Amino acid sequence: MPTLASALPEDTGDGYVAAAYIVFFVILLIYVAIMALRLSHVQRDLRDLRARTQESARDDTRQDAAGGQSKEHDDQTREREPV
Amino acid sequence: MGIALGLVFFYAPIELEEGLLQKIFYLHVPLAIVSLCGFVLGGIMAIAHLRTRDRRWDLRSYVTIHMSLIFGVAVLLTGSIWARGSWGHWWVWSEPTLVSFLIVFLLYATYQPLRFAIEDPERQARYASVFAIVAGAFVPLNFLAVRLSTAYVHPRVLGSSANLPGTMRLTFLVSLVAMALLFATLCSYELTAKRTRMLLRSRSRILGYQ
Repeated sequence: MPTLASALPEDTGDGYVAAAYIVFFVILLIYVAIMALRLSHVQRDLRDLRARTQESARDDTRQDAAGGQSKEHDDQTREREPV
Repeated sequence: MGIALGLVFFYAPIELEEGLLQKIFYLHVPLAIVSLCGFVLGGIMAIAHLRTRDRRWDLRSYVTIHMSLIFGVAVLLTGSIWARGSWGHWWVWSEPTLVSFLIVFLLYATYQPLRFAIEDPERQARYASVFAIVAGAFVPLNFLAVRLSTAYVHPRVLGSSANLPGTMRLTFLVSLVAMALLFATLCSYELTAKRTRMLLRSRSRILGYQ
């Protein structure tokens, strides 16, 4: 058995091979993580933009409705006023 | 990529001299080739930008160079690990291939600071394109200079079939294609993300939210 063990090369280099492939996949993982983070920022900005757009659309509708009501109110008052 | 890894670890034979350490070759060399081709491709896209004045070419050139730089980091790290296992040193300054790749990498490392130091978008795109073309022309010249140099310490794998038996050659080519596809996918991913961000910003500006 010791003879067999001494016949084997001391360093097969498998640690270096594992290290090289791990380094590559870690770099890839870091890149994908950064991209995912940026994508989440884009999603957040998109949500904000949608919320603001909907809010401003709602405000416009409300203003239009209020404008219509006040116009009706003015007309009614004008009708009640003595000529 | 999965097929390539399968071939590397289960199909390609273990090399007699370097043993298992030679498996780094299937990662390091395709990474280096794809990275260098990416730099040249960035230069070609920059030419297209200067010819057409289309900003999309500038964006493509920028993304390609950016991705090549990331791949370049991986090349330097995996190369260092391989050198340590094979030669006993993390870095050998007398080896022309290593030093020439480092020079190319450092040259392109100045691309982004140069680009973002210019505020005017039109000038930024134009100057970045000029840089990409000049540096892109430097890459093949540099490669040729290294090839012509006399010190052949670095293993030559392409152009000499005696160095690479059939199974190893096939594994290498599949690894190269896989790496090129990974590069193209990541470039496309980043391009889409950048375009979406730009579109979002322009919409916000139009609506007066910025």
